[in-house]
Amino acid sequence: MNDVDRSRASLKVLVADANPKRGQALSQTLRADTSLEVLTVPAGMALIDAVQLHGPDVVLVDMERADRDALDSIRALSRSAQERPVALFVDEDDVELMETAFDTGICSYNVLEALPQDVKPLLRTAIALYGRFRRARDELAEAQRALAERRIIEQAKRFFMENEKTGEVQAHRWFQRRAMQTSRKLAVVAQEYLAAQKKGDA
Amino acid sequence: MMSVPIRIGVLKLADSAPVIMARQKGIFARYGLETEIVVSPSWANIADGLAWNRLDAAVLFAPLALMTMLGRRGHDTVLHPLSRISRGGNTIMLRGVNPVKGVWKSGAEGREIFDIWQAAIGRKPRIAVVHIYSTHLLILRRFLKMIDVDMDREVEILVMPPTDMISAFSEKEIDGCCVGAPWGMEAEQIGLAFCVGGSSTVLPDHLEKMLVVSDALFRSADTARRMFSAMQESLSFCRMPEHREEIAEILALPLSEGGLTLPREATFRILPGGTVQETLGFAGGEVQFPDIKWIINDMAALGWLDHDECGNLVFWTDSPDARLLHAHAPSL
Repeated sequence: MNDVDRSRASLKVLVADANPKRGQALSQTLRADTSLEVLTVPAGMALIDAVQLHGPDVVLVDMERADRDALDSIRALSRSAQERPVALFVDEDDVELMETAFDTGICSYNVLEALPQDVKPLLRTAIALYGRFRRARDELAEAQRALAERRIIEQAKRFFMENEKTGEVQAHRWFQRRAMQTSRKLAVVAQEYLAAQKKGDA
Repeated sequence: MMSVPIRIGVLKLADSAPVIMARQKGIFARYGLETEIVVSPSWANIADGLAWNRLDAAVLFAPLALMTMLGRRGHDTVLHPLSRISRGGNTIMLRGVNPVKGVWKSGAEGREIFDIWQAAIGRKPRIAVVHIYSTHLLILRRFLKMIDVDMDREVEILVMPPTDMISAFSEKEIDGCCVGAPWGMEAEQIGLAFCVGGSSTVLPDHLEKMLVVSDALFRSADTARRMFSAMQESLSFCRMPEHREEIAEILALPLSEGGLTLPREATFRILPGGTVQETLGFAGGEVQFPDIKWIINDMAALGWLDHDECGNLVFWTDSPDARLLHAHAPSL
């Protein structure tokens, strides 16, 4: 191994994500850096067992994982007579990074000798990827919500057309006017109309 | 009134009932408190939430609160014990066949039973707790000491979430656990484990959980006072045996309906008014030094706290009124 290679000695990173899809995406992203050896926690394996198996330098942990508590204890536990115990990564001087990581739902544990300049880029990469996944999930939820609203409005209009013997344009106008008069969303007005309808049926 | 909701962290445990019921019964609202209950997957999330200003309060056991405060798992964070929450309720559960009927006696007799049980298990017992800095570990250590078993040498300690313990028992990954309510009862009901002791045999009525609040909330004295009062009212409600059914019902609800998805039957049996070996008690009032003295002593014995830290922690439980006065002193 020449000097250049040695300076880029590989860092062993364990990705512990409860969401397999996201975990895979994060692993792939990290593997682009050839100085990293990226490992994942096999499905069904406890986080602490994976840490003991792989002996990583850095562990990126999804904070939704309930078995994260075992990592807290690693140094105090009798059985963790491990060669390289990991501890929660904390950068007191970079509160913003720590808070962003927390809000994003990811944290990092690392061996004591790991350098912040080695850990922080990994944590930032994970934060960015988690952020993308969250946005995608939010967008999906928003699309689903819009679709549900659409359905309610259509159904309310159908009832209105039946009750008032009118066409769709008139029905739409009626709901629109009512929404404007009461400063509420069209979907809310439609929902109320449907609720009143059901009550009337009962 | 605070313009943002007070974020209270809880875990899926029967100890969380006073917080859950305070919301369900509209007690928080009556005290003008807007709250957001954050059901956390792990104790680490609770500690980190308090450390990084993502939680204002939490239902927590003293050892983790103290270690978080001292910066032993992240950065140090000023925390205050606002109110007692629960007493006892921890069960020591073992798998296999109990060589005797019921809980184990202390001393040589207990040691003998342990040896018979261990011979049947056929290995160094693997015993799980929910977190290393927990009352469960301290109670387990005291129990083992009572039957003359050395926790460091004679058993292997593991850490896992209570829900994982159930499956770990059935897969024989663990041989025992010390766990909070209602999870020991649940393991017993499923037929996975039997109870050999716990809070009531080791240290009856010991303080289990407390409501810990951030420094910011504590210094917002009016809010802290209202929070304290709301909790006392909810604790009184939770203490009454006639509310057992309603509380068990609500704790069994899904998260989306304000519950904790706890097993209903097991929860019902361990709530105040239940007649099982280990019932959970709800305790009102301020946390007093005698409540946590044994915890500090045990933590020191384990080497987690040094002499100076123990000395400083004596003041941690000074009455809130006294400390609120201190908090206001600079502005006088």
